[in-house]
Order: sequence, then structure tokens, then C-alpha cells
Amino acid sequence: MNDPTRRRFLFSTGVTSVVLSACGFLGATARYLSPNVLYEPPHRFPIGSPEEFPPGTATFLPEHRLFLFNNPAGFYAISSVCTHLGCNVRHIVGEGFACPCHGSRFDENGQVVHGPAPEPLAWFGLSLSPRRELVVNTRQPVQPEYRFRV
Amino acid sequence: MGRTIFRVGWPRTDKDRAAAMISSLVLHIHPAKVQRHSLRASYTLGLGLTSAYLFGVLIVTGVVLMLYYTPHPLDAYRNMKDLQFVVTFGPVLRNMHRWAAHAMVVVVFLHMCRVFFTGAYKEPRQFNWVLGVGLLLLTLGLSFTGYLLPWDQLAFWAITVGSNIAGYAPGLGAEIKYLLLGGNVIESGALLRFYVLHCVILPLLAAMLIAMHVYRVRKDGLSAPPAAEPPPIEEMAPGRFPPSTRSYGLMALADRPAQPVVESEPDDEVLTWPHLLYREVLVLLAVLIALHAAALLFNAPLEEIADPTRTPNPAKAPWYFLGLQELVSYSALIGGVLVPTLLVLALVLVPYLDPVPRGVGVWFAPERSRANRIFAALASAAVALTLVGMFFRGPNWAWVWPWTP
Ligand code: HEM
Ligand code: FES
Repeated sequence: MNDPTRRRFLFSTGVTSVVLSACGFLGATARYLSPNVLYEPPHRFPIGSPEEFPPGTATFLPEHRLFLFNNPAGFYAISSVCTHLGCNVRHIVGEGFACPCHGSRFDENGQVVHGPAPEPLAWFGLSLSPRRELVVNTRQPVQPEYRFRV
Repeated sequence: MGRTIFRVGWPRTDKDRAAAMISSLVLHIHPAKVQRHSLRASYTLGLGLTSAYLFGVLIVTGVVLMLYYTPHPLDAYRNMKDLQFVVTFGPVLRNMHRWAAHAMVVVVFLHMCRVFFTGAYKEPRQFNWVLGVGLLLLTLGLSFTGYLLPWDQLAFWAITVGSNIAGYAPGLGAEIKYLLLGGNVIESGALLRFYVLHCVILPLLAAMLIAMHVYRVRKDGLSAPPAAEPPPIEEMAPGRFPPSTRSYGLMALADRPAQPVVESEPDDEVLTWPHLLYREVLVLLAVLIALHAAALLFNAPLEEIADPTRTPNPAKAPWYFLGLQELVSYSALIGGVLVPTLLVLALVLVPYLDPVPRGVGVWFAPERSRANRIFAALASAAVALTLVGMFFRGPNWAWVWPWTP
């Protein structure tokens, strides 16, 4: 009854079990909070036939948050999401891009000129669908030399 | 029947009033008697009390707002328009909730300054200061999560910027942001998460912390200069009730023929009812009048519906985060994560970095002038950065003078 060693052993076993099960529960809850399936916009999507973007134009596609350029070397797509904190940058012809939130500036290739943005604007890979539509893939980062010819 | 609810009835003598203070759950948040020092409006400025009242108003108005609100991008904004234009007294309740929330940020901050400048965080109240820092963070968290709910442009872009700052936290930043938004974009999942945080999780945490905070104030008594503090336990004569009014039973006030309690009390203690209680009711009245006036005179803003494709220029965070946004416009990692984390850490550690129990219970004690100056410098820097963000930043976050159109 009064064996202190036994009492201590039982006590610490009890406390350890309570702590372990609490940790297990908290861990499971933390994992539960992270969703497995997202009902978010797809990362590959068609934006229209190449003819809709005449040569020499820069088109802002607000619903996809990107700019599509068509210059003599081919098509390319630059994200409009500022790499600082996610505002939409505006395109200023001949100058590049400007962000309204904290004043970051980017050149025509999306490289940071000045401001708090830590990285250049993202470039996305392009492809052509069987229905001859331009398709953007936001999971396919490409370099600023990238041009897509149809 | 009244006696089954209120055991002492409406008290007509001091003894009955003291009995009411002790026997009622609500009233016994107070001691039966308090020091005159702690009644002085110039000491506490009633700021802690006002914070608690504002929290109460926010709970009441918030719960009734919930009855007209659906946390979904397709409904939320329409619900706000309904509250504004269709629901009878809808604008009043919405305005009250909004202005009380803004006021709470200001008042809690001022309460913290009061506690610092009176040295009230020193022994034995160190941990209550830490609880207070938790309450400050919860107050900001409640305001921030509530900001998204109207689903207008102001809301959407403030939360875009805010949640991306979280993404800069070293190591777990991306995970924190993913958990906060329940995904990668601000959409229905994010709105639901902010709603649950704002209406359930954070208010519950805040209510629990406020209970602990106030309980400790009750147990430790309000801070006072050493002269007004009760003598340590050893000095008390056996058989005599301690002159302190912190925790004791009714015996202290019962008539004991041999030794009238009144004579052994220090002169500077007075009965809580009426002296403190009536002052508290007065502050409540002032808070309610001010909030009603604000709610009737000024409408809470509601901009156009959230449009993820169009960033307003400039896109500003809620005003109490504009200091942070100003820092972030220099560097997201240093300004958005490092500086705030260090500041919070420093705040938490204040009572342990400055443990010498000197200059407690008076404003700006000369013995504490160094600590007070450091704190004043940091607090003014925070206020100054916030003002710069509010009034001196225009389109593209460029510097503007507030008086130039
Ligand atoms: C939701 C926010 C808060 C509420 C509702 C609250 C409530 C209160 C109340 C009712 C008092 C009694 C005295 C008075 O009215 O001044 C008090 C005292 C105190 N508060 Fe707070 N408080 C809050 C936030 C804070 C913060 C942010 C801090 C500091 C970081 C803090 C630290 C303290 C300390 C140390 C005391 C004891 C002061 C003394 O004994 O003189 N509290 N608080
Ligand atoms: S989000 Fe573009 S500069 Fe901050």
C-alpha cells in the first residue's frame, strides 16, 4: 500500500499517459485543420484562341490574374500577383509593372526594379490545346527568355 | 420570492451592502471594501473597466448581427447591405459593433500604457501583465478576423496583405497561411475559417483570459504606493481581522462588541457599495452614451463587393495594422515578422526584465524614469508609424501630405 516506489511509478505512468493522449489528440486536430481537397480554381486553364491576342499587345486577364503578351518572338504570360504581399500589379506600357500596395516596381520582364518585393513576377508556361486554345499552366514556372510560338 | 433570487434584498445599511458584495456571484468580483487610492479616476483612468465593457457590448451586438449573416462569399456582402438598408436598427447595431471594436483596440492599448507608467506590473502582478499581453493580441486578432466578414474590397485586400505577411514567418510561414485560409486563396473556405475564429474561438479565449485577468486583479488588489499597501501578514495581531480587504468573510464587518472593526480599519478604505459600484455604473453609462452617439452619427464603411481581380490603390490594412504595413513596405520579413515578434516577446518579458519593485502605484515615478522613457519611445514609434500609414501614404504607397488633395 505505502510503497513509495510503486506509488511514484503509477503516478508517473498515469501522468505520461495523459500527456501522450493529449498530444495525440492535438496532433490529430492540427492535421485535421489542413484540408486535403481544395475546391480552388484549376492551375491549367484555357484563355482563348491565339488570334484573340493580336501581335504587339499586352492583355490583362483579371479573372486569372495574369498578363498575356504577344510580341514578334511569340506569346508569354506574366503573373499580375505581386510577390511582396499579393496585390495586383498594373502594367505601364514601356515602363513595366507597378504595385499599388507598397510601391514595388518591376521592369517589362517582371524583374524587381525597386521596392519591397523580394522576387520577380512569375512567368507561366503556355501550350496549345487540341481545340487550338492557348492554355496557361501556373504550376510550370519558366524563365523570362521563354516565348511560345503557335 | 425575490429573496430566493437576491438573498440579501435591496440593502439599506452598510452591513447589508457589504453582505451583498460578498454573497452575490456578480458583485463579489469586488472586495467588500476598497482603498480610496484605487477609486481615484486619475489613477486607472477606468481603462481596464472600459475595455471589459466594450468587450461586453461587442458580444451582445455581435451575437445579434450573427442572426442576419451567412459566412459565404455569395451572401455575406448582400447580408451587409440588408443590415445597412433593410433591417430595422440594423445600421445602429452594425455601427455599434464596428465602433466598439475600434474603441477597444485604442482603450486596451491605453490601458497597457497606464499599467506600464504606474509600474503596476511589478511583483506580485507580473503574470497578470503577461495575461494582459495575451488579451492585447486577442483584441487585435478579433478585429482582424472580423474585418474580412463584410466581404467588401476593404476587407478582401486587407486580408490578402495580412495573410501574406503570415506567409513570411520563417519555417512554418507557408503552413500557417495555408491553415489560416484553409487553402491557397481567399475564398469560401477562408471566410468560414475567419468567421469561426471571430465568432467562437477568439471570443471564448478572450472571455477566459479576461476572467483570469480580473480574478487576479481581485486577489492582488489594485496596485498602490507602498504606504497604502496593507502590512505583511506577520505583522497582524492574532485574533484581529486583517485590515486588508482582499479576501475575507463577513465576520470582518459583523459587529463585534469588544473590538469595533471600523476602528481597526485604515481610514483610507471605503465600502465598495456605493463608492466603487456607483463609479463603475457611471463609467458604463458614459461608454454606452458615447457608443450610441458614434453609432447614430457615423456609419461603418462598406465599400464595393470584394473583387479579387482589382486591387484598390492604395490598398490599406485596418488602421491598427498600418504601422505594420508601413514596416512591411520596407521589408516583409524584417518589418512584418521579425520586428513584431521581438516586440511581443519584449512586452511579455517586461515584468521579468524590470523586476525591482520600486515606484509602484504612482504615475511616472522618478525611480522608473528610464523604463518609462524606453516604453514611451517604443509606444510613440508605434503610434507615429500608424499615423504615417493612415495619413501620409497615398496611391502606390507614395508619400503624400494629408492636406494636399
Ligand atoms: C481585453 C483586454 C483587457 C481587459 C478587459 C482588462 C481588464 C482589466 C481591469 C478591469 C483591470 C482593473 C483595473 C483597471 O480598470 O485599470 C485591469 C488591471 C490590470 N491590467 Fe488589464 N485588461 C485588459 C488588457 C490588459 C493588457 C493589454 C495589459 C498589459 C499588457 C493588462 C495588464 C493589467 C495589469 C498588470 C493590471 C493590474 C493593474 C493594477 O493593479 O494597477 N491588461 N485590467
Ligand atoms: S503587395 Fe506589391 S508591393 Fe506589397
